[in-house]
Amino acid sequence: MGDLDGRVAVVTGGSRGIGRAIAEAFLDEGAKVVITGTNAEKGAQALAEIDRADDVTFLQADAMKREDCEAAIDTAISTYGKIDVLVNNAGGADNHAPVAELTDEAMDLALKWCLWSTFWSSRHAVKPMLEQGWGRIINVSSVEGKVGKPGISTYVTAKHAVNGLTKSMAQEVGAAGVTVNALCPGVIETDITREVGPAAAESMGITYEELIQHFAQEAATKRVMELEDVAAVAVLLASEPGGGISGSLISIDGGTAPY
Amino acid sequence: MGKLEGKVACITGGTRSIGRAMAEAFVAEGGKVVVNGRSEEKGREALAEMDAGDAVAFYAGDVTDQATVEGLIDFTVDHFGALDICCLNSGGVKLTAPVAQMTDEEWQLELDWNLNHVFWGMRKALQHMIPNEAGRILVTSSVEGKLGKPGIPGYAATKHAVNGLVKSAAHEVGTLGITVNSILPGLIETDIVRETGPASAEMMGLGSYEALLDVFAQEAAIKRMNTVEEVAAVAVLLASDAGRNMTGCMFPVDGGTMPY
Repeated sequence: MGDLDGRVAVVTGGSRGIGRAIAEAFLDEGAKVVITGTNAEKGAQALAEIDRADDVTFLQADAMKREDCEAAIDTAISTYGKIDVLVNNAGGADNHAPVAELTDEAMDLALKWCLWSTFWSSRHAVKPMLEQGWGRIINVSSVEGKVGKPGISTYVTAKHAVNGLTKSMAQEVGAAGVTVNALCPGVIETDITREVGPAAAESMGITYEELIQHFAQEAATKRVMELEDVAAVAVLLASEPGGGISGSLISIDGGTAPY
Repeated sequence: MGKLEGKVACITGGTRSIGRAMAEAFVAEGGKVVVNGRSEEKGREALAEMDAGDAVAFYAGDVTDQATVEGLIDFTVDHFGALDICCLNSGGVKLTAPVAQMTDEEWQLELDWNLNHVFWGMRKALQHMIPNEAGRILVTSSVEGKLGKPGIPGYAATKHAVNGLVKSAAHEVGTLGITVNSILPGLIETDIVRETGPASAEMMGLGSYEALLDVFAQEAAIKRMNTVEEVAAVAVLLASDAGRNMTGCMFPVDGGTMPY
Protein backbone atom coordinates (compact mmCIF):
# COMPACT_ATOMS: atom_id res chain seq x y z
CA MET A 1 0.00 0.00 0.00
CA GLY A 2 1.45 3.33 -1.06
CA ASP A 3 0.42 6.73 0.24
CA LEU A 4 -0.76 7.69 -3.27
CA ASP A 5 -2.42 4.49 -4.45
CA GLY A 6 -4.91 5.24 -7.23
CA ARG A 7 -3.88 8.90 -7.55
CA VAL A 8 -3.08 10.54 -10.89
CA ALA A 9 -0.50 13.32 -11.03
CA VAL A 10 1.00 15.75 -13.51
CA VAL A 11 4.54 16.94 -12.89
CA THR A 12 5.70 19.73 -15.20
CA GLY A 13 9.38 19.74 -15.98
CA GLY A 14 9.50 16.11 -14.92
CA SER A 15 12.30 14.67 -17.04
CA ARG A 16 15.10 15.77 -14.79
CA GLY A 17 15.95 17.37 -11.47
CA ILE A 18 13.33 18.08 -8.81
CA GLY A 19 10.40 17.19 -11.06
CA ARG A 20 11.89 13.82 -11.89
CA ALA A 21 12.54 13.07 -8.20
CA ILE A 22 8.94 13.99 -7.33
CA ALA A 23 7.60 11.86 -10.20
CA GLU A 24 9.61 8.85 -9.06
CA ALA A 25 8.56 9.31 -5.43
CA PHE A 26 4.90 9.49 -6.53
CA LEU A 27 5.31 6.31 -8.60
CA ASP A 28 6.88 4.55 -5.61
CA GLU A 29 3.79 5.46 -3.58
CA GLY A 30 1.42 3.98 -6.16
CA ALA A 31 0.43 6.96 -8.32
CA LYS A 32 0.23 7.25 -12.12
CA VAL A 33 2.17 10.20 -13.41
CA VAL A 34 2.32 12.39 -16.52
CA ILE A 35 5.65 14.19 -16.80
CA THR A 36 6.26 17.04 -19.21
CA GLY A 37 9.36 18.57 -20.71
CA THR A 38 10.39 20.57 -23.74
CA ASN A 39 12.90 18.04 -25.00
CA ALA A 40 11.48 14.80 -26.46
CA GLU A 41 14.84 13.05 -26.32
CA LYS A 42 15.28 13.77 -22.61
CA GLY A 43 11.69 12.68 -22.06
CA ALA A 44 12.31 9.35 -23.78
CA GLN A 45 15.46 8.90 -21.75
CA ALA A 46 13.54 9.60 -18.52
CA LEU A 47 10.88 7.03 -19.43
CA ALA A 48 13.57 4.46 -20.17
CA GLU A 49 15.35 5.12 -16.89
CA ILE A 50 12.15 5.08 -14.83
CA ASP A 51 11.10 1.86 -16.61
CA ARG A 52 7.45 1.86 -15.50
CA ALA A 53 5.70 2.00 -18.89
CA ASP A 54 2.17 1.41 -17.56
CA ASP A 55 2.35 4.06 -14.88
CA VAL A 56 4.13 7.00 -16.42
CA THR A 57 3.60 9.04 -19.59
CA PHE A 58 5.80 11.73 -21.10
CA LEU A 59 4.26 14.68 -22.91
CA GLN A 60 6.47 17.03 -24.86
CA ALA A 61 5.22 20.39 -23.64
CA ASP A 62 6.55 23.88 -23.14
CA ALA A 63 5.48 25.37 -19.81
CA MET A 64 5.66 28.80 -21.39
CA LYS A 65 2.73 27.98 -23.71
CA ARG A 66 -0.81 27.93 -22.37
CA GLU A 67 -2.04 25.21 -24.70
CA ASP A 68 0.85 22.96 -23.64
CA CYS A 69 0.09 23.50 -19.94
CA GLU A 70 -3.54 22.61 -20.54
CA ALA A 71 -2.62 19.63 -22.71
CA ALA A 72 -0.69 18.08 -19.81
CA ILE A 73 -3.79 18.10 -17.62
CA ASP A 74 -5.91 16.78 -20.50
CA THR A 75 -3.37 14.00 -21.09
CA ALA A 76 -3.66 12.84 -17.48
CA ILE A 77 -7.44 12.71 -17.81
CA SER A 78 -7.44 10.96 -21.19
CA THR A 79 -4.70 8.48 -20.21
CA TYR A 80 -5.47 7.74 -16.55
CA GLY A 81 -9.03 9.01 -16.18
CA LYS A 82 -8.58 12.01 -13.88
CA ILE A 83 -6.23 14.56 -12.33
CA ASP A 84 -5.67 14.47 -8.56
CA VAL A 85 -2.30 16.11 -8.07
CA LEU A 86 -0.66 18.90 -10.06
CA VAL A 87 2.98 19.71 -9.42
CA ASN A 88 3.94 22.99 -11.05
CA ASN A 89 7.65 22.37 -11.10
CA ALA A 90 8.83 23.86 -14.41
CA GLY A 91 10.37 27.27 -13.95
CA GLY A 92 13.49 29.32 -14.26
CA ALA A 93 15.01 32.58 -15.44
CA ASP A 94 17.77 33.72 -17.73
CA ASN A 95 19.63 36.85 -18.85
CA HIS A 96 20.14 37.95 -15.26
CA ALA A 97 21.17 41.51 -14.54
CA PRO A 98 20.73 44.12 -11.81
CA VAL A 99 17.40 45.90 -12.15
CA ALA A 100 19.04 49.04 -13.58
CA GLU A 101 20.26 47.03 -16.56
CA LEU A 102 17.48 44.46 -16.76
CA THR A 103 15.70 43.90 -20.08
CA ASP A 104 11.96 43.59 -20.53
CA GLU A 105 12.56 40.23 -22.17
CA ALA A 106 14.39 38.80 -19.15
CA MET A 107 11.55 39.79 -16.79
CA ASP A 108 8.96 38.50 -19.22
CA LEU A 109 10.76 35.16 -19.54
CA ALA A 110 10.88 34.58 -15.78
CA LEU A 111 7.21 35.50 -15.41
CA LYS A 112 6.18 33.21 -18.27
CA TRP A 113 8.32 30.32 -17.06
CA CYS A 114 7.46 30.49 -13.34
CA LEU A 115 4.21 32.40 -12.94
CA TRP A 116 2.12 32.12 -16.12
CA SER A 117 2.89 28.39 -16.38
CA THR A 118 1.71 27.83 -12.81
CA PHE A 119 -1.39 29.95 -13.39
CA TRP A 120 -2.33 28.26 -16.67
CA SER A 121 -1.87 24.73 -15.34
CA SER A 122 -3.60 25.45 -12.03
CA ARG A 123 -6.61 27.16 -13.62
CA HIS A 124 -7.10 24.21 -15.94
CA ALA A 125 -6.52 21.49 -13.33
CA VAL A 126 -8.59 22.96 -10.54
CA LYS A 127 -11.88 22.66 -12.41
CA PRO A 128 -11.91 18.82 -12.48
CA MET A 129 -10.46 18.81 -8.97
CA LEU A 130 -13.37 20.93 -7.69
CA GLU A 131 -15.84 18.65 -9.48
CA GLN A 132 -14.42 15.56 -7.80
CA GLY A 133 -14.03 17.36 -4.45
CA TRP A 134 -10.38 16.35 -4.05
CA GLY A 135 -7.19 17.81 -5.36
CA ARG A 136 -3.66 18.85 -4.54
CA ILE A 137 -1.74 21.63 -6.24
CA ILE A 138 1.93 21.80 -5.30
CA ASN A 139 3.94 24.72 -6.64
CA VAL A 140 7.69 24.33 -6.65
CA SER A 141 8.74 27.78 -5.58
CA SER A 142 12.09 28.56 -3.98
CA VAL A 143 13.77 30.09 -0.97
CA GLU A 144 13.90 33.05 -3.39
CA GLY A 145 10.11 33.17 -3.07
CA LYS A 146 10.65 34.42 0.48
CA VAL A 147 13.92 36.34 0.36
CA GLY A 148 15.75 38.43 -2.23
CA LYS A 149 19.22 38.32 -3.67
CA PRO A 150 20.91 40.96 -5.82
CA GLY A 151 21.22 40.35 -9.53
CA ILE A 152 18.46 37.73 -9.86
CA SER A 153 15.42 39.94 -9.38
CA THR A 154 13.49 38.28 -12.20
CA TYR A 155 13.56 34.90 -10.48
CA VAL A 156 12.94 36.39 -7.02
CA THR A 157 9.99 38.41 -8.33
CA ALA A 158 8.43 35.49 -10.18
CA LYS A 159 8.78 33.09 -7.23
CA HIS A 160 7.34 35.63 -4.79
CA ALA A 161 4.42 35.97 -7.19
CA VAL A 162 3.93 32.20 -7.26
CA ASN A 163 3.75 32.25 -3.45
CA GLY A 164 1.07 34.95 -3.60
CA LEU A 165 -0.93 32.96 -6.12
CA THR A 166 -0.58 29.91 -3.85
CA LYS A 167 -2.04 31.74 -0.85
CA SER A 168 -4.97 33.25 -2.75
CA MET A 169 -5.91 30.08 -4.53
CA ALA A 170 -5.73 28.09 -1.28
CA GLN A 171 -8.37 30.39 0.21
CA GLU A 172 -10.56 30.04 -2.88
CA VAL A 173 -10.73 26.25 -3.01
CA GLY A 174 -9.99 25.14 0.55
CA ALA A 175 -13.56 24.31 1.48
CA ALA A 176 -13.89 22.10 -1.62
CA GLY A 177 -11.24 19.55 -0.68
CA VAL A 178 -8.46 21.06 -2.78
CA THR A 179 -5.22 22.21 -1.18
CA VAL A 180 -2.66 24.56 -2.72
CA ASN A 181 0.85 24.80 -1.31
CA ALA A 182 4.31 25.96 -2.31
CA LEU A 183 7.60 24.21 -1.66
CA CYS A 184 10.49 26.59 -1.11
CA PRO A 185 13.71 24.63 -1.56
CA GLY A 186 17.16 26.03 -1.05
CA VAL A 187 19.61 25.61 -3.86
CA ILE A 188 20.04 22.09 -5.23
CA GLU A 189 22.73 21.19 -7.74
CA THR A 190 20.47 19.95 -10.52
CA ASP A 191 21.35 19.81 -14.21
CA ILE A 192 19.54 23.13 -14.64
CA THR A 193 21.50 24.71 -11.81
CA ARG A 194 24.72 23.65 -13.51
CA GLU A 195 23.47 25.07 -16.81
CA VAL A 196 22.08 28.42 -15.68
CA GLY A 197 24.01 28.86 -12.43
CA PRO A 198 27.18 30.30 -13.97
CA ALA A 199 25.25 33.17 -15.61
CA ALA A 200 23.34 33.91 -12.40
CA ALA A 201 26.62 33.88 -10.48
CA GLU A 202 28.17 36.27 -12.98
CA SER A 203 25.23 38.65 -12.54
CA MET A 204 25.84 38.50 -8.78
CA GLY A 205 29.56 39.18 -9.32
CA ILE A 206 30.79 35.78 -8.11
CA THR A 207 31.82 32.41 -9.60
CA TYR A 208 29.47 29.42 -9.84
CA GLU A 209 31.37 27.61 -7.08
CA GLU A 210 31.10 30.70 -4.88
CA LEU A 211 27.38 30.84 -5.65
CA ILE A 212 26.86 27.28 -4.42
CA GLN A 213 29.00 27.92 -1.34
CA HIS A 214 27.19 31.19 -0.71
CA PHE A 215 23.83 29.40 -0.59
CA ALA A 216 25.23 26.55 1.51
CA GLN A 217 26.71 28.90 4.09
CA GLU A 218 23.38 30.66 4.55
CA ALA A 219 21.83 27.40 5.74
CA ALA A 220 22.09 26.13 9.29
CA THR A 221 23.19 22.84 7.76
CA LYS A 222 25.96 24.58 5.73
CA ARG A 223 25.21 22.43 2.72
CA VAL A 224 22.93 22.50 -0.32
CA MET A 225 19.72 20.47 -0.48
CA GLU A 226 19.10 17.24 -2.32
CA LEU A 227 16.30 16.24 -4.67
CA GLU A 228 14.92 13.57 -2.35
CA ASP A 229 14.38 16.15 0.41
CA VAL A 230 11.90 18.00 -1.78
CA ALA A 231 10.23 14.85 -3.11
CA ALA A 232 9.46 13.59 0.42
CA VAL A 233 7.55 16.77 1.26
CA ALA A 234 5.68 16.62 -2.06
CA VAL A 235 4.53 13.09 -1.19
CA LEU A 236 3.31 14.25 2.20
CA LEU A 237 1.34 17.15 0.72
CA ALA A 238 -0.19 14.89 -1.94
CA SER A 239 -1.18 12.22 0.56
CA GLU A 240 -4.39 11.97 2.60
CA PRO A 241 -2.97 13.48 5.83
CA GLY A 242 -1.54 16.32 3.71
CA GLY A 243 -5.13 17.52 3.35
CA GLY A 244 -4.78 19.55 6.54
CA ILE A 245 -2.05 21.72 5.05
CA SER A 246 -2.92 24.50 2.61
CA GLY A 247 -1.75 27.96 1.63
CA SER A 248 1.62 27.09 3.15
CA LEU A 249 5.05 28.04 1.89
CA ILE A 250 7.12 25.15 3.15
CA SER A 251 10.83 25.75 3.50
CA ILE A 252 13.15 22.91 2.55
CA ASP A 253 16.25 24.98 2.90
CA GLY A 254 18.29 23.73 5.85
CA GLY A 255 17.20 26.72 7.89
CA THR A 256 17.92 29.51 5.41
CA ALA A 257 14.72 31.52 5.12
CA PRO A 258 13.98 33.61 8.21
CA TYR A 259 10.27 32.72 8.17
CA MET B 1 10.82 -1.23 6.14
CA GLY B 2 9.38 1.63 8.13
CA LYS B 3 10.69 5.15 7.87
CA LEU B 4 11.86 5.09 11.51
CA GLU B 5 13.11 1.52 11.82
CA GLY B 6 15.06 1.13 15.06
CA LYS B 7 14.81 4.82 15.98
CA VAL B 8 14.12 5.73 19.60
CA ALA B 9 11.85 8.63 20.48
CA CYS B 10 10.48 10.27 23.60
CA ILE B 11 7.33 12.38 23.58
CA THR B 12 6.16 14.72 26.33
CA GLY B 13 2.40 14.70 26.70
CA GLY B 14 2.26 11.47 24.77
CA THR B 15 -0.66 9.61 26.27
CA ARG B 16 -3.41 11.52 24.47
CA SER B 17 -4.19 13.61 21.40
CA ILE B 18 -1.30 14.94 19.27
CA GLY B 19 1.47 13.26 21.26
CA ARG B 20 -0.36 9.96 21.24
CA ALA B 21 -0.91 10.17 17.47
CA MET B 22 2.82 10.85 17.02
CA ALA B 23 3.66 7.85 19.20
CA GLU B 24 1.37 5.58 17.21
CA ALA B 25 2.73 6.86 13.89
CA PHE B 26 6.34 6.38 15.05
CA VAL B 27 5.65 2.82 16.18
CA ALA B 28 3.88 2.08 12.88
CA GLU B 29 7.09 3.18 11.11
CA GLY B 30 9.26 0.86 13.19
CA GLY B 31 10.26 3.23 15.99
CA LYS B 32 10.38 2.75 19.75
CA VAL B 33 8.78 5.36 21.95
CA VAL B 34 8.66 6.51 25.55
CA VAL B 35 5.50 8.50 26.16
CA ASN B 36 5.22 10.86 29.10
CA GLY B 37 2.18 12.12 30.94
CA ARG B 38 1.17 13.26 34.41
CA SER B 39 -1.26 10.47 35.20
CA GLU B 40 -0.05 6.91 35.84
CA GLU B 41 -3.56 5.72 35.11
CA LYS B 42 -3.77 7.43 31.71
CA GLY B 43 -0.30 6.11 30.97
CA ARG B 44 -1.40 2.54 31.65
CA GLU B 45 -4.53 3.10 29.55
CA ALA B 46 -2.47 4.49 26.67
CA LEU B 47 -0.07 1.54 26.70
CA ALA B 48 -2.99 -0.90 26.77
CA GLU B 49 -4.79 0.85 23.90
CA MET B 50 -1.65 1.15 21.78
CA ASP B 51 -0.95 -2.55 22.30
CA ALA B 52 2.56 -2.20 20.90
CA GLY B 53 4.35 -4.47 23.37
CA ASP B 54 7.96 -3.61 24.11
CA ALA B 55 8.03 -0.84 21.50
CA VAL B 56 6.35 1.60 23.90
CA ALA B 57 7.08 2.56 27.50
CA PHE B 58 5.54 5.15 29.81
CA TYR B 59 7.29 7.71 32.01
CA ALA B 60 5.13 9.54 34.52
CA GLY B 61 5.63 13.13 35.53
CA ASP B 62 4.65 16.76 35.13
CA VAL B 63 6.76 18.62 32.55
CA THR B 64 6.51 21.87 34.51
CA ASP B 65 9.00 20.11 36.80
CA GLN B 66 12.52 20.21 35.34
CA ALA B 67 13.43 16.87 36.93
CA THR B 68 10.58 15.18 35.05
CA VAL B 69 11.71 16.46 31.66
CA GLU B 70 15.36 15.59 32.21
CA GLY B 71 14.36 12.29 33.80
CA LEU B 72 12.34 11.39 30.70
CA ILE B 73 15.39 11.87 28.48
CA ASP B 74 17.63 9.80 30.78
CA PHE B 75 14.97 7.10 31.13
CA THR B 76 14.63 6.83 27.36
CA VAL B 77 18.38 6.41 26.90
CA ASP B 78 18.53 3.83 29.72
CA HIS B 79 15.46 1.92 28.57
CA PHE B 80 16.02 1.76 24.81
CA GLY B 81 19.77 2.50 24.69
CA ALA B 82 19.52 5.63 22.55
CA LEU B 83 17.69 8.88 21.89
CA ASP B 84 17.18 9.70 18.23
CA ILE B 85 14.02 11.80 18.32
CA CYS B 86 12.85 14.12 21.07
CA CYS B 87 9.29 15.46 20.75
CA LEU B 88 8.56 18.29 23.15
CA ASN B 89 4.85 18.25 22.67
CA SER B 90 3.15 18.93 25.98
CA GLY B 91 1.66 22.38 26.45
CA GLY B 92 -1.43 24.37 27.15
CA VAL B 93 -3.24 26.86 29.31
CA LYS B 94 -4.95 26.32 32.65
CA LEU B 95 -6.90 29.56 33.08
CA THR B 96 -7.56 31.89 30.18
CA ALA B 97 -7.49 35.60 30.95
CA PRO B 98 -6.70 38.85 29.17
CA VAL B 99 -3.42 40.51 30.12
CA ALA B 100 -5.17 42.98 32.43
CA GLN B 101 -6.47 40.13 34.57
CA MET B 102 -3.63 37.60 34.12
CA THR B 103 -2.19 36.33 37.40
CA ASP B 104 1.51 35.82 38.01
CA GLU B 105 0.80 32.20 38.92
CA GLU B 106 -0.90 31.41 35.59
CA TRP B 107 1.78 33.31 33.67
CA GLN B 108 4.53 31.29 35.39
CA LEU B 109 2.67 28.03 34.77
CA GLU B 110 2.40 28.75 31.03
CA LEU B 111 6.09 29.73 30.87
CA ASP B 112 7.09 26.48 32.59
CA TRP B 113 4.67 24.30 30.61
CA ASN B 114 5.12 25.72 27.12
CA LEU B 115 8.61 27.24 27.11
CA ASN B 116 10.82 26.07 29.98
CA HIS B 117 9.88 22.42 29.48
CA VAL B 118 10.92 22.73 25.85
CA PHE B 119 14.22 24.38 26.83
CA TRP B 120 14.97 21.80 29.53
CA GLY B 121 14.17 18.91 27.19
CA MET B 122 16.02 20.37 24.23
CA ARG B 123 19.17 21.10 26.25
CA LYS B 124 19.25 17.61 27.75
CA ALA B 125 18.44 15.90 24.44
CA LEU B 126 21.16 17.85 22.63
CA GLN B 127 23.70 16.71 25.21
CA HIS B 128 22.94 13.15 24.08
CA MET B 129 22.64 13.94 20.38
CA ILE B 130 25.69 16.19 19.83
CA PRO B 131 28.29 13.46 20.59
CA ASN B 132 26.42 11.12 18.22
CA GLU B 133 26.16 13.80 15.54
CA ALA B 134 22.59 12.72 14.83
CA GLY B 135 19.18 13.59 16.13
CA ARG B 136 15.80 15.19 15.61
CA ILE B 137 14.09 17.62 17.93
CA LEU B 138 10.44 18.38 17.23
CA VAL B 139 8.56 21.02 19.14
CA THR B 140 4.79 21.19 19.00
CA SER B 141 4.17 24.89 18.68
CA SER B 142 0.90 26.33 17.37
CA VAL B 143 -0.59 28.84 14.96
CA GLU B 144 -0.47 31.02 18.09
CA GLY B 145 3.31 30.86 17.65
CA LYS B 146 2.81 33.31 14.80
CA LEU B 147 -0.53 34.94 15.64
CA GLY B 148 -2.22 36.28 18.73
CA LYS B 149 -5.74 35.89 20.03
CA PRO B 150 -7.36 37.78 22.87
CA GLY B 151 -7.46 36.01 26.20
CA ILE B 152 -4.51 33.68 25.66
CA PRO B 153 -1.56 36.06 25.94
CA GLY B 154 0.61 33.59 27.80
CA TYR B 155 0.00 30.86 25.26
CA ALA B 156 0.75 33.17 22.33
CA ALA B 157 3.85 34.57 24.05
CA THR B 158 5.29 31.17 24.97
CA LYS B 159 4.53 29.60 21.57
CA HIS B 160 6.20 32.56 19.86
CA ALA B 161 9.12 32.06 22.24
CA VAL B 162 9.63 28.37 21.45
CA ASN B 163 9.74 29.24 17.76
CA GLY B 164 12.62 31.59 18.47
CA LEU B 165 14.36 28.93 20.53
CA VAL B 166 13.95 26.43 17.71
CA LYS B 167 15.44 28.77 15.12
CA SER B 168 18.47 29.56 17.27
CA ALA B 169 19.13 25.95 18.22
CA ALA B 170 18.78 24.85 14.57
CA HIS B 171 21.65 27.15 13.64
CA GLU B 172 23.77 25.95 16.54
CA VAL B 173 23.65 22.26 15.60
CA GLY B 174 22.91 22.38 11.87
CA THR B 175 26.27 20.95 10.83
CA LEU B 176 26.07 18.11 13.37
CA GLY B 177 23.36 16.07 11.69
CA ILE B 178 20.76 17.33 14.17
CA THR B 179 17.62 19.13 13.06
CA VAL B 180 15.38 21.26 15.25
CA ASN B 181 11.90 22.12 14.00
CA SER B 182 8.53 23.39 15.15
CA ILE B 183 5.18 22.09 13.99
CA LEU B 184 2.41 24.69 14.06
CA PRO B 185 -1.00 23.06 14.12
CA GLY B 186 -4.25 24.93 13.80
CA LEU B 187 -7.00 24.09 16.23
CA ILE B 188 -7.53 20.39 16.85
CA GLU B 189 -10.33 19.23 19.10
CA THR B 190 -8.15 17.46 21.63
CA ASP B 191 -9.10 16.52 25.18
CA ILE B 192 -7.35 19.64 26.45
CA VAL B 193 -9.34 21.85 24.10
CA ARG B 194 -12.57 20.20 25.26
CA GLU B 195 -11.54 20.90 28.85
CA THR B 196 -10.42 24.52 28.49
CA GLY B 197 -12.41 25.53 25.39
CA PRO B 198 -15.69 26.48 27.09
CA ALA B 199 -13.93 28.96 29.40
CA SER B 200 -11.92 30.38 26.48
CA ALA B 201 -15.12 30.82 24.47
CA GLU B 202 -16.81 32.66 27.31
CA MET B 203 -13.80 34.88 27.83
CA MET B 204 -13.64 35.69 24.11
CA GLY B 205 -17.33 36.60 24.20
CA LEU B 206 -18.26 33.89 21.70
CA GLY B 207 -21.37 32.53 23.38
CA SER B 208 -20.57 28.85 23.12
CA TYR B 209 -17.77 26.31 22.80
CA GLU B 210 -19.05 25.35 19.35
CA ALA B 211 -18.76 28.98 18.26
CA LEU B 212 -15.12 28.95 19.34
CA LEU B 213 -14.38 25.90 17.22
CA ASP B 214 -16.17 27.51 14.30
CA VAL B 215 -14.13 30.73 14.61
CA PHE B 216 -10.93 28.72 14.23
CA ALA B 217 -12.31 26.57 11.41
CA GLN B 218 -13.50 29.59 9.45
CA GLU B 219 -10.06 31.20 9.68
CA ALA B 220 -8.60 28.28 7.73
CA ALA B 221 -8.74 28.02 3.96
CA ILE B 222 -10.03 24.48 4.40
CA LYS B 223 -12.86 25.69 6.69
CA ARG B 224 -12.38 22.88 9.16
CA MET B 225 -10.19 22.05 12.11
CA ASN B 226 -7.07 19.94 11.76
CA THR B 227 -6.61 16.37 12.97
CA VAL B 228 -3.96 14.71 15.09
CA GLU B 229 -3.13 12.36 12.22
CA GLU B 230 -2.21 15.34 10.02
CA VAL B 231 0.29 16.51 12.63
CA ALA B 232 1.67 13.01 13.13
CA ALA B 233 2.37 12.61 9.40
CA VAL B 234 4.50 15.76 9.45
CA ALA B 235 6.30 14.54 12.58
CA VAL B 236 7.18 11.29 10.80
CA LEU B 237 8.57 13.19 7.83
CA LEU B 238 10.68 15.51 9.97
CA ALA B 239 11.92 12.58 12.09
CA SER B 240 12.82 10.41 9.10
CA ASP B 241 15.98 10.42 6.99
CA ALA B 242 14.06 12.36 4.33
CA GLY B 243 13.75 15.22 6.83
CA ARG B 244 17.51 15.64 7.20
CA ASN B 245 17.65 18.97 5.36
CA MET B 246 14.68 20.66 6.99
CA THR B 247 15.69 22.56 10.09
CA GLY B 248 14.74 25.77 11.82
CA CYS B 249 11.45 25.30 10.04
CA MET B 250 8.04 26.37 11.34
CA PHE B 251 6.02 23.63 9.66
CA PRO B 252 2.37 24.67 9.34
CA VAL B 253 -0.47 22.18 9.73
CA ASP B 254 -3.21 24.76 9.85
CA GLY B 255 -5.24 24.46 6.67
CA GLY B 256 -4.11 27.88 5.52
CA THR B 257 -4.73 29.99 8.62
CA MET B 258 -1.45 31.80 9.08
CA PRO B 259 -0.54 34.61 6.69
CA TYR B 260 3.14 33.68 6.68
